[in-house]
Amino acid sequence: MNPQRPFASLDLPLIGTTVALIAVGVLSIASATFGSGQSGLWKMQLLWLMVALIAALVIVLVDYRVWAEVALAMHGVVIALLVAVLFFGREVGGNRSWLDFGPMRLQPSELAKWTTCLVLAVYLARRVRGGMGLRQLVEIGLLVGAPVGLISLQPDMGTALTFIPILMVGLLIGGIRWRVMFGLAIVAMLMTPIAWTQLRPYQKERILTVFDAERDPHRIGYQVRQSKIAIGSGQIVGSGPFNGTQSQLNFLPAQHTDFVLSVFAEEWGFVGASAVLGLFYYLFYRCILAARSAQDRLGTYVCLLVVAWITGQMVINIGMVLGRLPTIGVPLPLVSYGGSALIAALSGIALVVNVRSRRFVN
Amino acid sequence: MGAITDVDYRERWELKDFLIGQRLERRILLIHVLLALVLVAFLFNFWYLQGVKGVEYARLAEGNTMRKIPLKPTRGWIYDRDGQVIAATRPSLDLLVRQEQVDDLPRMLDDLAPILTASPRDLADVLRGEPDFEPVVVGRDVGLLQLAWIESRRERFPAIEIRETARRFYPEAAIIAHTIGYVGQVNENQLRADKGRLKSGDIVGKSGVERAFDDDLRGDRGWHLVSVNAVGRQVGETRVGQEASHGNRMQLTIDLDLQRALVEGLGVETGAGVFLDPWTGEVLAIASTPHFDPNRFADGFDRASWEKLQTDPRRPLHDRSIASFYAPGSTFKVVMAAAGLETGIIGEDDRVYCNGSATYYKRRRLCWKRGGHGWVNIRKALAESCNVYFYELGQKLGIEKIHDFGDRFGLGRLTGVGLSGEEAGILGNSEWKRKHRGEQWYPGDTISVSIGQGLLAVTPMQMARMIGGVATNGKLPTPTLVLGSQKLEPIGLRPTTLRLLRAGLADAVSRGTATRATDGTFTVAGKTGTAQVYKHSAGIDADKLPKAERDHAWFVGYAPADKPRIAFAIVVENGGHGGTIAAPIARSVLEIFFSSERPDPASRAGVGRSPSPVHEPATTVR
Repeated sequence: MNPQRPFASLDLPLIGTTVALIAVGVLSIASATFGSGQSGLWKMQLLWLMVALIAALVIVLVDYRVWAEVALAMHGVVIALLVAVLFFGREVGGNRSWLDFGPMRLQPSELAKWTTCLVLAVYLARRVRGGMGLRQLVEIGLLVGAPVGLISLQPDMGTALTFIPILMVGLLIGGIRWRVMFGLAIVAMLMTPIAWTQLRPYQKERILTVFDAERDPHRIGYQVRQSKIAIGSGQIVGSGPFNGTQSQLNFLPAQHTDFVLSVFAEEWGFVGASAVLGLFYYLFYRCILAARSAQDRLGTYVCLLVVAWITGQMVINIGMVLGRLPTIGVPLPLVSYGGSALIAALSGIALVVNVRSRRFVN
Repeated sequence: MGAITDVDYRERWELKDFLIGQRLERRILLIHVLLALVLVAFLFNFWYLQGVKGVEYARLAEGNTMRKIPLKPTRGWIYDRDGQVIAATRPSLDLLVRQEQVDDLPRMLDDLAPILTASPRDLADVLRGEPDFEPVVVGRDVGLLQLAWIESRRERFPAIEIRETARRFYPEAAIIAHTIGYVGQVNENQLRADKGRLKSGDIVGKSGVERAFDDDLRGDRGWHLVSVNAVGRQVGETRVGQEASHGNRMQLTIDLDLQRALVEGLGVETGAGVFLDPWTGEVLAIASTPHFDPNRFADGFDRASWEKLQTDPRRPLHDRSIASFYAPGSTFKVVMAAAGLETGIIGEDDRVYCNGSATYYKRRRLCWKRGGHGWVNIRKALAESCNVYFYELGQKLGIEKIHDFGDRFGLGRLTGVGLSGEEAGILGNSEWKRKHRGEQWYPGDTISVSIGQGLLAVTPMQMARMIGGVATNGKLPTPTLVLGSQKLEPIGLRPTTLRLLRAGLADAVSRGTATRATDGTFTVAGKTGTAQVYKHSAGIDADKLPKAERDHAWFVGYAPADKPRIAFAIVVENGGHGGTIAAPIARSVLEIFFSSERPDPASRAGVGRSPSPVHEPATTVR
């Protein structure tokens, strides 16, 4: 970063895209909770945004190579927090995912996404120069597996699953041979029936709902059905902000968190939904640009893993909102309500901005 | 290390780096393409939901927000033949609590409980689990005094609402309880049986007329549309969907004046009575005692009083007029006489000598009159109810002929009055006995049947109909509660048979067993009967037996004796002799019927005399 003009080399299009998505989020949260007991929630999200911006600023100001030096330590701290949450965590909706810090409530699993991306990028840049062998696979497995395992114990399967895109992209860009990749895929597939027996009935029900939309429309299928009704009733241009009957009248559950896009799609129609997809695509594109122009491999890996995380989670969330994937409780990054998630996502984007702003050798 | 190796080493790494860079580029491109494909798929999906199916989903969304609020119809009123109200639907006030408006629920319940004569715990139980914003009924049919008490302390009860509802009300209370029946909330079985029209929570007729004519009386629900949010709270205006269509009013054949006289006459006795117009079958009065107050059913019983009603050994809920069957006793001699005369087995002047008993199939049968009646012909046998005469006749007729005539008089089958719970009774013959008892018919059985005992059981309604058939000179009426319908079945009796029957029945009242049936201002023809409860009671003075062991007392008949306008049957359980206890009850009703102030009943019937609809409430109750 140029010390004289610290913001000259910042990726303003990426920052603009991020701000636009956050704005979509705040607006939809405000609309979804309008007139309900939670009508002040959008202000909370703005408050979280302030915290997130400070975090992002700190992350941008310090060279990513410095962050890389402390990556493993930070990962260790987050893993410790994930252990702590199992014992001292606050239970919300059946998951023990939150740690109370005075007035703040922190979700360590969101921070784990950020440290996992960073630590994985560092590992790939430093240890995988000669190719991906068994040792590398095992070590990557440990780095990613530790937070995933702890999060599964909360049990927050949705968040645990969002690590899969990060892991897969990490393996791909780390240079794993296709043979090995397919081998791992086959092993994963063979494990599926075993995993199925381990699922709880409601989890099975959610997965089956994907294949049969009319299955049990009053319980599990209800959410998906209401989401589709909300989206569909928005038609082309939407009902207008604060005017979506489905979301305004609370027919749509989890409307300000996981299903926030349904609210936006109802109120802004196909136009709005396409715009959100476009914004996410552009965010992805800017991150790829940052990855390719990075000064070193570490920078490239950081950008690619962060974008794998953000877009991967986006795909899971939108697939869920459209009823194409099981309802597993994954928020839409940058858009859904949630302080920890916003801080983590913005910190991730900040890493990309960091890498891009330092793309020129001094 | 030498310079050359140094360069080589670096170049090898650079080459490798280049190859790795190439692979990385390819893999980034792959990820890029995959994401693009997914996003395009999402775009199509959004287009499908919002563009292609958008209108359909918008309609679904509309349905999501509108909820139908049912409008309950007002149940049709029921009147007697003169337009006196038998069953009304009156507005009543319920007290409701909206929990979300209560700051201190326990305190409010403590304040409220005494005025509703309930305990605070009971009230809390009622409210538990109900949505906060939904008003919950805590007091039904609240009196004006209670309301005034609450209204004057309004500041203590900000969450109390008062709602008007329709309540079934029977102003005559217990006077005609069994036949009118009662109403209550529809149950599972009825919901399943009646597809579509009924909804959970509807009030339907549960017994009697309320049930038999429920479809007519009930009316159809209407509905309002209100927009609601996901938890069901109303958020918008109310739109009228369809007004409720109210139940039809109904005029019964019942004459409440006679009804009251009949119930008063039965008094504390256990029994039943049916009075009908023999020419039309219209039931003028019908009662069963002991009775119950159908108004109690409107609110739902508390468990204690319901159990008391259920377990009362006198079974007040049981409708004895149509559902109890008794041995007809000597009243069956009317059928016997008709059979004997009609088949020619006996003639007008054929005589039998009664010395007080006769022996058939090695068993001695008694006549009720010790010492006997001497020589009796059919007219005297009927008037004085001589058993020996009818033993002789029964033996000659045989059971099949007796059965045939019993059937012609409508015994052993439903009368067609159309009330649920009616019983057909028993009209035995050899086939019946084989089928139901698995035994053959013995000639001795026929002797018992000849005096109305044995395998023979009838309801008061059947007996009223039977004697009505005599009153009309051989046309069996079909009892009905609905004005204007009349159906007469020919019994197939010759005029001479009828003339003798009627002469015998008239003699029975004027100088025979039933002299207490008239005060002398009108003539009555009839037949008493005593249905044996215990074998040993035959020939013993009933008044000397303990009440529970006394025979059931019957009196069936019609009046006036020459040109009958009313036919009746009365049974008093454990009443002893029919002439002693049942005949005076008939007389008290007939006195009202024939009292000079009353116009002819036939001219009073019908729509022309229906009351002005001013009485009926025009309010729609929601």
